[in-house]
Amino acid sequence: MKEVVCAGSGGQGVLTCGLILSDIAVREGQNATWCPSYGSAMRGGTANCTVKFGKDVIYNPQQEEPDVLIVMNNPSFEMFIKIVAPNGMAVVGDMVTCDTTVRPDVTIVKVPCSAIADELGNARSANIVMTGAAVKAMGDFSKEEAIAAMNAMFAKKGKSKFEEANKKAFKAGYAAV
Amino acid sequence: MAEMMKGNVAIAEAAVRAGVRFYAGYPITPSSEIMEYLSWRLSEVGGSFVQAESELAGINMVFGASSCGVRAMTASSGPGISLKQEGISALSDEELPALVINMVRYGNGLGTLFSSQCDYHRETHGGGHGDYRCIVLSPSSIQEAVDLIPTAYELGEKYRVVVVLMSEGALGQMMEPVELPEFLEPKKNYWGFDGKYSYKKIGIFDRDSMKEAVELNKKYAEIKEKEQRWESEGLEDADYVFVAYGLPGRSTLGAVRSLRDQGYKVGLIRPITTWPFPENAFREVNPKVKAMITVEANATGQLVDDVALYTKKILKSDIPVYALPFVYGVPPMKEIQNKFRQILADEIKEVY
Amino acid sequence: MPAERKVPEMIDRPMSFCPGCGHGIIIRLICECLEELGQDQNVIFPIGVGCSSNLGGGLVADRLHCLHGRAGAVATGIKRVNPDNLVITYQGDGDAYSIGIAETTNAAYRNENITVITVNNTNFGMTGGQMSLTTMEGQKTSTTVHGRDCSVTGFPIRFPELVASQFHPAYVARGSVSSPANIKKTKGYIKKALQAQINREGYSMVEVMSPCPVNWGMKPIQAMERINNDLISYYPLGEFTEKGGETR
Repeated sequence: MKEVVCAGSGGQGVLTCGLILSDIAVREGQNATWCPSYGSAMRGGTANCTVKFGKDVIYNPQQEEPDVLIVMNNPSFEMFIKIVAPNGMAVVGDMVTCDTTVRPDVTIVKVPCSAIADELGNARSANIVMTGAAVKAMGDFSKEEAIAAMNAMFAKKGKSKFEEANKKAFKAGYAAV
Repeated sequence: MAEMMKGNVAIAEAAVRAGVRFYAGYPITPSSEIMEYLSWRLSEVGGSFVQAESELAGINMVFGASSCGVRAMTASSGPGISLKQEGISALSDEELPALVINMVRYGNGLGTLFSSQCDYHRETHGGGHGDYRCIVLSPSSIQEAVDLIPTAYELGEKYRVVVVLMSEGALGQMMEPVELPEFLEPKKNYWGFDGKYSYKKIGIFDRDSMKEAVELNKKYAEIKEKEQRWESEGLEDADYVFVAYGLPGRSTLGAVRSLRDQGYKVGLIRPITTWPFPENAFREVNPKVKAMITVEANATGQLVDDVALYTKKILKSDIPVYALPFVYGVPPMKEIQNKFRQILADEIKEVY
Repeated sequence: MPAERKVPEMIDRPMSFCPGCGHGIIIRLICECLEELGQDQNVIFPIGVGCSSNLGGGLVADRLHCLHGRAGAVATGIKRVNPDNLVITYQGDGDAYSIGIAETTNAAYRNENITVITVNNTNFGMTGGQMSLTTMEGQKTSTTVHGRDCSVTGFPIRFPELVASQFHPAYVARGSVSSPANIKKTKGYIKKALQAQINREGYSMVEVMSPCPVNWGMKPIQAMERINNDLISYYPLGEFTEKGGETR
């Protein structure tokens, strides 16, 4: 069982990032849970979700000790780096500008996600870039199955028109690490 | 293939499939997605949806719809369910079935938005005025919640009682793979109003409370006898038995299995019906058990009262009964294990 | 030869109202209208709490005793699932306006296709004559023993006028049972209200001024005179809005 926390500001798409990961796992026949933080602020505050996936039973669906942290702003990095499992991993977006050396045991994977997203002409796709990078860094799923699951998820939401842009962003993220 | 679905959405769709054709309610986090979904979905199947002016009005609309024999429901969270108690008492009095969903959030008064189990006493011991009980179902996964929706109506209509799905905020907000139940053909209950006075009722001024009390006790005794539901593990040789329901029950199962791996003889009772309380589960417990331990997402420890009662009643034992109240959220498996070790080290005092 | 006393078939036993009470007349009018409209086998009554509850004891009809003030909400639930049945709430002013103002107002606001009959006797009758929202300025009740002081309790509410002027109901009227002529007119209002529901025009309401001699400390005739002399000038009789067959 793997525990992943995706964290950032509201509106950055960290919940979607977690959702894609959980959908990939389910399509692979694994168990998965996705738990959002929820609160009174609809936009603008911090947002995070906890994804757990694996072949075994998932007991507690909520945060315990994430193996992987996918993080897109400074406050979230500072808050969650402390609870990452020993020798875990943090996939860190380029919005995180604070000191990332606080946990020497944790592997830090830096992703220039907003730079890549800007380059692709779609600033809002930074979360998809991060997802692609995280899938590569985590090594649990192949690129092809991940993209297929992502497309299926957006199709289910009636958002297939973004499929090409999403694929591009995912691939760029995957190639960036 | 099971698909990832949000708890509240899966529950709402399961209700439609169970033949629910009327919903009235008022928005409140963390239950609102249920009404948002039904606001468009019910009209697709010929049902009705009313966004009520208040929780009070909402439950009373359900009272009206149920009186016509239609499967009706409402959903809310702690503070809203407080307002609904008046109507739940009226439904119980008229012996009208309905499904009331409580996605519990933590706190007194306005409270907080945190997922919790702080409404245990209120839901399981008849929260409104009078002398009634509701059947209370407490799922530990979205799949279990969805599977319990048709069951809720079967039980409600069989015994003519209100059924409460007492879940937690986190279960409504989370997603996991779900397979939805089959569509049931909705049918009106024979006792529903048709405007022709086909089903005769005893008038309000001709009722005999003494006679009704006998019937009421008979009914509740039958529910207690036949409708206890639970899951258990490792009770036969357990030195310590945990009792926990809902998401904490699921987390406790993980903790229990981990403790077993470490050589501790521990077991778990996970009530699925929190009323009727699954007292029969206690009959499976090792007679030499050393203590009972509840794991709860509230501050004061509520489930522990019932566990102590049934320890006395079924185990006829004076062993210590502990509560581990985690206030809100889902108790982490690691923390449950730490607290268990503290109990062994005599660092936590028993409640009873 | 005296005329035969004809009681609508829906009424199967006497209702225990106080001598001189207006409720019995109003219930009879409703039943007569239902029979004349051929709807007496097609009606559900969500009933209020108070003296209005007595309707439930005397009618052979589908009826549901609602919690205090909630009949507007209960009627909504009933009508939404049984749209072909006539749904009539029967409530007093304390039930419909004081405790039930939210449910009564919102049912009108949504323009639910129901008929609301409220009996205005300017006090809570059943519980011993306490002040309600319709109690007149200076009126002595068991909770305004020196007379209602509107500077601290608010002024008597004219609810039908509120509904007629602010919302989009099908039919709103106020009648009275204080004279044979008024009773006849009131029956006409009730019939029109029910007809509006049959036509699916939307919300219909008839408020009926009714005497409460016991709590008013008056003889029955005096109580009727109070309505004619003191109340009608504040609570004018008549129709406030009428859609006239326009379908929702």
